[in-house]
Amino acid sequence: MNNIYKLCLAFAIILSVPTLSSAQKTTKYKCMVQMTNYTGEGAYIAVSLIDAKGAYEKTLYVMGSDKKWYPDLKEWHKAYKSKPTNISAVTGASVTGGDRSVTVFDIETAKINKGYKLRFETAVEDNKYYVKDAEIPLTTEGLAAKTEGTGYIRYVRLSPN
Amino acid sequence: MTISVWRYSHLALAVSSFLFITLASLTGIILSFKPVTEKIQPYKSKDFNQLTVAELIPTLQKSYTDISDVTIDANEFLLVNGTDAYDESGNFYVDPKSGKNLGKVAKENEFFRWVTTLHRSLFLHELGRFFVGLTAFLLFLIATSGTVLIIQRQRSFKKFFGKIVKDGFAQYYHVVLGRLLLIPIILISLSGTYLSLQRFGIVKEQKITHKIDFDALKTDPAKNIADFEVFKNISLHQVQSIEFPFSEDVEDYFTLKLDDREITVNQITGDIITEQAYSKATLFNNLSMDLHTGRGSAVWAVVLAIASVNILFFIYSGFVIWWKRRANGIKNKYKFDQAEFILLVGSENGTTFRFAKAIQDQLLKNGKTAFMAELNSYKNFPKAKQILVFAATYGQGDAPTNSTKFKSLLKKYPQSNAVDFSVVAFGSHAYPDFCKFGYEVNNVLSHQEWAKPLQEIHTVNDRSPEEFTRWATLWAQNSNVELSQLSKLLETKPIKRLPFKVIEKIVSSQEETSFIIRLSPQKRKKFTSGDLLAIYPTNDHRERLYSIGKIGKDVQLSVKLHHGGLGSGFLHNLEVGQMTNAAIVRNEHFHFPKKAKSIIMVSNGTGIAPFLGMVDQFGRVQDIHLYCGFRNQQSFALYENAINKETSLLTKLNVAYSREGEKHYVKDLLLRDQALVCETLKNNGVIMLCGSLSMQKDVIALLEDLCQQDQQKSISYYQSRGQILMDCY
Repeated sequence: MNNIYKLCLAFAIILSVPTLSSAQKTTKYKCMVQMTNYTGEGAYIAVSLIDAKGAYEKTLYVMGSDKKWYPDLKEWHKAYKSKPTNISAVTGASVTGGDRSVTVFDIETAKINKGYKLRFETAVEDNKYYVKDAEIPLTTEGLAAKTEGTGYIRYVRLSPN
Repeated sequence: MTISVWRYSHLALAVSSFLFITLASLTGIILSFKPVTEKIQPYKSKDFNQLTVAELIPTLQKSYTDISDVTIDANEFLLVNGTDAYDESGNFYVDPKSGKNLGKVAKENEFFRWVTTLHRSLFLHELGRFFVGLTAFLLFLIATSGTVLIIQRQRSFKKFFGKIVKDGFAQYYHVVLGRLLLIPIILISLSGTYLSLQRFGIVKEQKITHKIDFDALKTDPAKNIADFEVFKNISLHQVQSIEFPFSEDVEDYFTLKLDDREITVNQITGDIITEQAYSKATLFNNLSMDLHTGRGSAVWAVVLAIASVNILFFIYSGFVIWWKRRANGIKNKYKFDQAEFILLVGSENGTTFRFAKAIQDQLLKNGKTAFMAELNSYKNFPKAKQILVFAATYGQGDAPTNSTKFKSLLKKYPQSNAVDFSVVAFGSHAYPDFCKFGYEVNNVLSHQEWAKPLQEIHTVNDRSPEEFTRWATLWAQNSNVELSQLSKLLETKPIKRLPFKVIEKIVSSQEETSFIIRLSPQKRKKFTSGDLLAIYPTNDHRERLYSIGKIGKDVQLSVKLHHGGLGSGFLHNLEVGQMTNAAIVRNEHFHFPKKAKSIIMVSNGTGIAPFLGMVDQFGRVQDIHLYCGFRNQQSFALYENAINKETSLLTKLNVAYSREGEKHYVKDLLLRDQALVCETLKNNGVIMLCGSLSMQKDVIALLEDLCQQDQQKSISYYQSRGQILMDCY
């Protein structure tokens, strides 16, 4: 897996030097998550960048700061544990039913329209867990649309900041 | 033992929930520091109360390129979530007047969060939350039943905050602090219960959804935010939070959460799009949060902390009371129809059982058949020869709960044989109706045909073992029972003995030997004149008590040597420089009345001891008239030195010699000065007696006469108001 990834990277470097320089360019996106009116504790939400093969590539944001509940976000936690990164800069408060949460995160411009996805994974204490509460294709259209959620999230909206 | 339903519930509730309550109180104490630490942060703006939303938003938009929402927390700090001019995103404390960034919002404190979770759910999730919620409700029931118990104890709602008689540390402070902290505790428990009910969806939580007709949204006339009428009318202290429109599109709007409703506002025209008032449940939830957590008010948080500390104290003192009461459980060897001696007890909280049990033990030891029961269990006792009643008085002269039916039962069940009876009445001089119930029982018993009084009724003040022993001795003689170690049976716990050094001894050897002995305590111990010194001449249970006069920091006793006297002989044999162990026993009812303007002290013989100390301690500030009686000048000589030193402090000294000159007793001198005596009582002064019981009897009889003549009031009127203090032996 790792090897394939490295190979891909090498391949990309060889093929296009201009792409490399633009790969470091990032765009700030404002993201609004509107919750449904569910009852219960605040939801923990992990926003991850998923590559074309469906693997976790990067954690963009985590709403919920108590590490105790991270294992509830099963799939994300599995990936995070195998490749821990410092997420303290992209951690915020959990979101209660009916509320909205607005956050800002960076997306590498080069990843857009390359088959990547933004995944919103949600879990609530003593309640259901949704791997793909909302998933947004990282395309120009996807980023402009309003995406409906399937669990605790009513919808997600993004806009360049 | 019948205990009232309320008391039983109070106990049962406490027993079933004390572990959870302890945990909740401990964590509650810690959590109460959270609002206090928050409140002292420097993020509060002076201009907060004058500002409106119409002024705030343009100010913020100057300093921030993008704002997603603004929150005003319980401390009236303004928090902005957005991106500032330097392209930094996050949560900031902001001054609402200038828009100045005051600092980044810190992450939630890990420790407080950990404690909060423990407080809310004991780390047991839903199950823990359920138990904590239930505990809050039980605490409410405990507080309610406690209130009823206080009302019962004080006999009426009006006297709820009236005087409480001090009977034991745990019990006294359980009641005193209980009624003081009643309101905070009821608020804590009720708000906690409410929050739990809402958490479990029993009280429906209000979820507000704004249904917006997007086709109807207008885009003109466009206005500046500063000119929005709605925003001009909302001042900051009404605002909980403002959600900014996500984009500039008309379909995105402002959402304002106010203190009583939520509104959405068109970001272009400034019109209100929708408006929804909070339900009662939401408002009550906010109030409960404020009351339960103390958020936003450091003062209330401190009150909550004090209440939590006291809940811990209630658990402790409540169990002490319970433990004491349990120790008084009735155990009978013989059944009611086998016993010749019937012991009936009327007691509210069980302390009187200790006395009855001591007598029951003595009877059993003497091979007699005895049966003990509460007064409400009175019935026909076929073999009864003696009925002994131990009756306490409760509240304002009423029957204790376990004795309320006695009088009607007595009529219903006459005894078939002739029975001797004797009543010991327990009470406290601190109450106006001293031993009233005991007297009533004695009275109704003496009207029964089958009943024959064995001896007069005896009263016991403040559970005095001495007074009880006096009754018991007489009873034992009358009933042919041998008493052994009664005082030991009555002992509650051994008193701590301290080392004392003899520093002075003055002996006067007349036809009767008396002496003054001065002892210096070798360890720090608070005491005052009128307290008692207990000595243990043979180093066993036998103790002898002497009234203390406090001279400087030393204990001064005056003792008459009795032939073969255990205590006096022991003290007489002590030499200066020798060490001995003794205990100081507080004797509050004979402490010097510091508030009284004038005091008359009456003593005979060695009874002068505490007065010598009191004059030394307080003679400088208060009027003191001392009347002391001695056999002759020679026996007075022993005290003459000490008194002469203090005559300057005394207002007047009067000495009566009973075997010399005019052969006066102190009562004669009091009769001579009756004007002064009456004046003193009338002006709330105090008369203190110390010495022999016969002197006390004479003086009280005289005072009764004087009071009747002069003011038509009985001496008991003054006794009940603490104006006659006695310590006689």
